[in-house]
Amino acid sequence: MSGPGAVQTGSSWVFRVEAVTKSYDGETNATDGLTMEVAPGEVYGLLGPNGAGKSTLVKQVIGLLKPDSGRITLGSFDLVEDPDAARQLCSYLPQAQMPIDSFKAREAIDIAGMIRGGPAAEVKRRREEMIEALEIGEWRDVLGARLSGGVKRLVGFAMVTVWPGRVIILDEPTNDVDPLRRRRLWEQIRRMGSEGAAVLLVTHNVMEAEKSVDRLAIINEGKLIAEGTPSSLKADDRGRLRLQLMLHPGNSTPELAPLVRDHVRVGNNLVTVIDEDAAGAGIVWAQDLLARGVIEEYALGATTLEDVYVRLTGHKSESER
Amino acid sequence: MTVPIPMIGVLPAKRTGPSHWWHGFIAMLRWEITNMRLLLPLTVVVQVLFGAGFVLGIGLFFEDIPSRAALFLSTGATTITLIMVGLVMGPQLVAQQKLEGTYDYMWSLPVPRSAATTAWITLNMIFAIPGMVVALLVASWRYGVDLEISFAIVPAVLLTLLTATLLGYALAHAVTKPEVTLLLTQVLIFGIVGFSPINYPQDNLPGWLAELHEYLPFLPMATVVRGGLTQGLVSNVVQSYVVLSAWGLIALGLVAGSLGRRR
Ligand SMILES: Nc1ncnc2c1ncn2[C@@H]1O[C@H](COP(=O)(O)OP(=O)(O)OP(=O)(O)O)[C@@H](O)[C@H]1O
Ligand SMILES: [Mg+2]
Repeated sequence: MSGPGAVQTGSSWVFRVEAVTKSYDGETNATDGLTMEVAPGEVYGLLGPNGAGKSTLVKQVIGLLKPDSGRITLGSFDLVEDPDAARQLCSYLPQAQMPIDSFKAREAIDIAGMIRGGPAAEVKRRREEMIEALEIGEWRDVLGARLSGGVKRLVGFAMVTVWPGRVIILDEPTNDVDPLRRRRLWEQIRRMGSEGAAVLLVTHNVMEAEKSVDRLAIINEGKLIAEGTPSSLKADDRGRLRLQLMLHPGNSTPELAPLVRDHVRVGNNLVTVIDEDAAGAGIVWAQDLLARGVIEEYALGATTLEDVYVRLTGHKSESER
Repeated sequence: MTVPIPMIGVLPAKRTGPSHWWHGFIAMLRWEITNMRLLLPLTVVVQVLFGAGFVLGIGLFFEDIPSRAALFLSTGATTITLIMVGLVMGPQLVAQQKLEGTYDYMWSLPVPRSAATTAWITLNMIFAIPGMVVALLVASWRYGVDLEISFAIVPAVLLTLLTATLLGYALAHAVTKPEVTLLLTQVLIFGIVGFSPINYPQDNLPGWLAELHEYLPFLPMATVVRGGLTQGLVSNVVQSYVVLSAWGLIALGLVAGSLGRRR
C-alpha cells in the first residue's frame, strides 16, 4: 500500500475543497465549511453517519449541486465555475443504483467507457480485466434488470472506472457486495490510486476503510470533525484498550468503574476505553458484571478506528452491526 | 496486464468544440437506444394502438360522418399522436428516471448537455413516426378520406414534433419535482384531447377559449399538419407556422435555461 499523500512523481495537480458550504433549505447546512485536499495516487475516505453530508459534498464536486460558498478546484480548474470540466475530469459512482436495466453488463461498461472518451479497443480490454478482477464473468451477458444488487454495484464500479477521470468519486461502492468480492473491489480501488487517480470514497465501513484508505475524514452534521491517516487518528488511543460490554437487552448502563477513560453506548453495546495496564482490573470488573447478569458477554481488544469513529460521532458504523 | 491509462502528469486540456459535441451526441444516442430497447417495442405498440384507437373510437360517435368532419378527425388524430409522444410520454419517462434516482449518473457524464439533450430529442421524434403513420392509414381506410399529401407535411411534422418534444423536455427538467411533472402531463392529456380544437373546428368552442387557442401551440400544430395533408381545409397556415415557431423558440429557451441549472 502506498503511504499517505502518495503523490505520483510527475503529477502536478491536486484536488482541493475549500470551505464548501451548502444548504438545501436555507436553514441548516448539509455541508458546513468543509475543507480537504486529495493528491494524485491517494485514496481518501469520507466517513460519517447517515445524513452527515457526504453525498451532498460529492454531488457538489461533480456539479450536480452548486455550493452556496466555497471553492472546489482541480489543478488550475475551478470545478464550481466550470461544471463541464468537472464532469470530464471526475468520474462518479452515485449512491443510487445505476440505470442499466436494459443493458447487458458488458454493454453498460463499454458504452460508459465510450461516453467517457475511451477508445473502443482499450475500453474492451480494460472491461475484460475488470470483469475478471471483480469475478463477475458469469454475468457478462446478463441484463441489468436481472442482476442482483451487489453485482449491479460492481458493474457500476466498472462503468465508472473503465476509463476514469483523474478524480474518481465513489459513493458507497461496496454496498450490497459480498465479502469476497468486496476484497476484490478494494483491490481495484487501490489500483486506481496506483494508476495515478485521486480517489474520493464514501463508506460506512470503518474496518475496511482502515485497511484500504490512505487518509480519511470523519464528517458529522456537515462538518469535518477529524482527518488524517488511520493510524494518526488512532494516536489518541495509543496505550489504550477497548473493553466492549454487551448489555442484556433493556438494561440501563451500569455504574462505570473508575478505570474507564471513555465510553459510548449504542443500543445494548457499551464500548469503553481503558488503559493498557488496567487490563486485568478491567476483566475483573467485566466478570463481575457478567456474574451479576448485567451483561451477556464482553470482549477486550486493541482499539480500532471504529472506536475513534464511535467516540467522535456517537454512532456505530456498518462493520459492527 | 493492466492497460495503463495516461493518468500521471499534468491534467488534460478541457475538451470542447464540434468533434467533442458530436462524439457525445453519438455516444448518448447509443446509450438512449440501448436504454429504451426493452421499452421500445411496447412503446411503439402502445403508440400505434393509441393512434388507431383514437381514430376509430371517435368515429363511433357518428352514424355517418360528413366527409369534411372525417378529414378533420383523421388529420386531428394524426396530430394528437405527435403531441402525445413529445409532450406526455417524453416527460413521463424523465420523471420516472428521476423517481428511480438514476438521473444523477446521467447528468454526471462528460458529455455536453446540449448533445445529450439533442440525442434524447432526436430519438423521441423518431419514435413518434410509427404511431402517426398508422393513425393516418387507419383514418383513410376507415373514413375513406381523400388526403392530398404535399411536401409541406415534412416541415409540419418536424416542427410540431420538435416543439412538442422541447416543451415536454422543459416540463420534465424545469419542474424539479417529478411528481408534479407527472401530474401536469395528466392535465395536458385532458386539456389537449378534450378542450383543443384539434379534432373539431375552433368555432365549436366558447368564444374566449377559441380566442385563447390562437395563441396556444396546439391549434397551430393541427393547422400546419392539415396544411401538409390536405388542400383547402385550412387557410391560416402561415400564421400558424409563425405562432408555432414562437412556441418552439420559447421551449428552446426553457430547455437551454434548465440545462445549466444546478440546485
Ligand atoms: N435533495 C435534498 N433535499 C433536501 N435535503 C436533502 C436532500 N438531500 C439530502 N438532504 C439533507 O442533507 C443532509 C445531508 O444528506 P446527505 O445525503 O449528504 O448525507 P449522507 O452523509 O450522504 O448520508 P447517507 O450516509 O445516509 O448517504 C441530510 O440532512 C439530508 O436530509
Ligand atoms: Mg449518502
